[in-house]
Amino acid sequence: MVAVARPLAPSNDSRSATRGARAHLDAPLDTDVALETPEHVVFRYRVAGPALRTAAHLIDLLLLLTASFLFGLILVGIALLLGIAHEDSELGKALIGVGLVFLFAVQWLYFAICESWKGTTPGKAVLGLRVVTKEGRPIGFGAAALRNLLRAVDMFPGVFVVGLYLPAFVAMAITGRFQRLGDLLAGTMVVVPERTTNVQPLRLQPAIQPGERAALPEQIRLSPEELRALELFLRRRGRLGVAREQELARVLTPAFAARFHVSQVVDPVRFLSVIYDIASRAGRDEAPAQEFAGSGVAGGPVHSRPPANLLTAASPVTAGPERQGPRS
Amino acid sequence: MSDLSRPRGLSAISEQAFSANREADWRALEQLLFKPFSTWDVDALARLSPLYRDVSSDLSRATTAGYSGQLVAYLESLTARAHAAMYARKSIRGRRSWGEWFALFPRAIRTHKWAMTIAFALFFVPFAIGLFGSLHDSEFAIRVAPHEMLDNLADAYTEGFSKGRATGEGIAMAGYYVNNNVGIALRCFALGMVFGLGSALYLVYNGLATGAIMGYVAAKGAGGNILTFVLGHSSFELGAIIIAGGAGLVMGWSFVSPKGKSRAAALRAVAPDLVVLIVGAAVMLFCAAAIEAFWSASAVPDTVKRVVGGAFFLALVVYVVFGGRRQRPAGPPSPGTGLP
Repeated sequence: MVAVARPLAPSNDSRSATRGARAHLDAPLDTDVALETPEHVVFRYRVAGPALRTAAHLIDLLLLLTASFLFGLILVGIALLLGIAHEDSELGKALIGVGLVFLFAVQWLYFAICESWKGTTPGKAVLGLRVVTKEGRPIGFGAAALRNLLRAVDMFPGVFVVGLYLPAFVAMAITGRFQRLGDLLAGTMVVVPERTTNVQPLRLQPAIQPGERAALPEQIRLSPEELRALELFLRRRGRLGVAREQELARVLTPAFAARFHVSQVVDPVRFLSVIYDIASRAGRDEAPAQEFAGSGVAGGPVHSRPPANLLTAASPVTAGPERQGPRS
Repeated sequence: MSDLSRPRGLSAISEQAFSANREADWRALEQLLFKPFSTWDVDALARLSPLYRDVSSDLSRATTAGYSGQLVAYLESLTARAHAAMYARKSIRGRRSWGEWFALFPRAIRTHKWAMTIAFALFFVPFAIGLFGSLHDSEFAIRVAPHEMLDNLADAYTEGFSKGRATGEGIAMAGYYVNNNVGIALRCFALGMVFGLGSALYLVYNGLATGAIMGYVAAKGAGGNILTFVLGHSSFELGAIIIAGGAGLVMGWSFVSPKGKSRAAALRAVAPDLVVLIVGAAVMLFCAAAIEAFWSASAVPDTVKRVVGGAFFLALVVYVVFGGRRQRPAGPPSPGTGLP
């Protein structure tokens, strides 16, 4: 598993759970852009806004200025070493020429070449940004060249590679994908590809007691938004203090208690955990391994028994797997 | 038999079972994606496609079943990374050969000949004004260009080039020309984004200044020298500035008058031509820098320089007017934006 630490982003869990929560709901978060693959599957990229891009650019500038300074030092050092640091020396003038070409490369070639090779510059890579086309594909040389040529306009007023980037900010505010003028021309955008790791679904510990189950109605159904909200809360429990936990739970508990006709709730957090567990696993059993036609994955899980009183013993759907037991 | 306790649309498989079943495939895909695409072997390539399809369908499944947000987010990021590896940018047509670039450049110029003509006028009309203004009145040039530069140039050209230029100084001047001129041309192009006006102003100013300088030096009596000097490289240099300015005008015009498309789409439609024009202009300027640095100031006799300069000019005109006219079969358009 690869997890990349990103200092400027909020914690992985809540952010990604929020994004996952919006999957097929009304509108995506407005910093996300949804892309449909040719397989008609929709995934989302988080688009980098002005703040992230400014930070990345500052890092790049630091790198460039340092490199130019060092290069200049090297040239001067060579000149002094060879004793040619005076007006009439030919080699000295040649070194000046080399220095000028280096400055040109820094100003015009650095960004274009880095982005067409890897899709990212060192400054962007530090913050985990990448330049992709509007369709989510890696960019080529033409797009990288165009978007960086227009940097001369985007960074007005400015000189060399340092500027105020006023037109860029205006363009980013207007377009839907935080594109500056160079991005508009080249059809690109800057995204933050998230690398999340898989975590286990929430498990209720200790398991539901019969008394708790009896106090709740037979069917507990929550809307997807409610499920996501509860999931978000329950995943953050570890980082909240006990008092804060209870305080937040007490905000939601009255509404659910009224809906499920529960007169008295002793422990709000436990109550929310229980109804989340029931609602998220409603009607699901553990499937036998054969159900899944994966690409040749063998092996099945160890089946745990679902709560017995959710399903009638006579139901043919559930009787099968329980009789046949775990498969390997 | 319907199971009333399960809302419609949800899968009958619990998230735990789903995860456990599919985990191995997801880890396999992650392992695959960990190495850069170019280092993959044949087996890895063969496994990418089925793994990617399966993970995509897992993502659909998890989203529809309403599994926890963490899982959906994880599958999304995995799908996105696999998608990026799968749909890399190389088009079916493959890399263009040098011969194709050679043919594309004049064709792009001819496609936008109106913009190029306007750019030509925007440069050379002020050039003529500057030239005759300076010849007529020496105060004129001083208003347009800095005084010290004018004096230096006048002195340099009055001296002539019998001494030639040493290699080291040649390299220095080449570096200076690359840094200065290519930057001017690229900026001239970029400023076209400001509705084309930026390019127009840049062309007018550069034309005026160049004409004024030449008129000033000519008024001091070194007209023949400066003419000999610039003949070698001027066709490349001025041609490149005009092409870059014309490209800027094309860009600005497609922004101003998108003709039914959105402005972004109009820009993207013209973008492939712009790449060709700019790369061509940059190459011309590199040639101009080399010529200007080593040839124009060398001790070669004047007549030879003039003849060679005229030959360059003719060759360029022939190239632009007749180059790339042989019909080549058009390949399939590349996917996405069509940029190379």
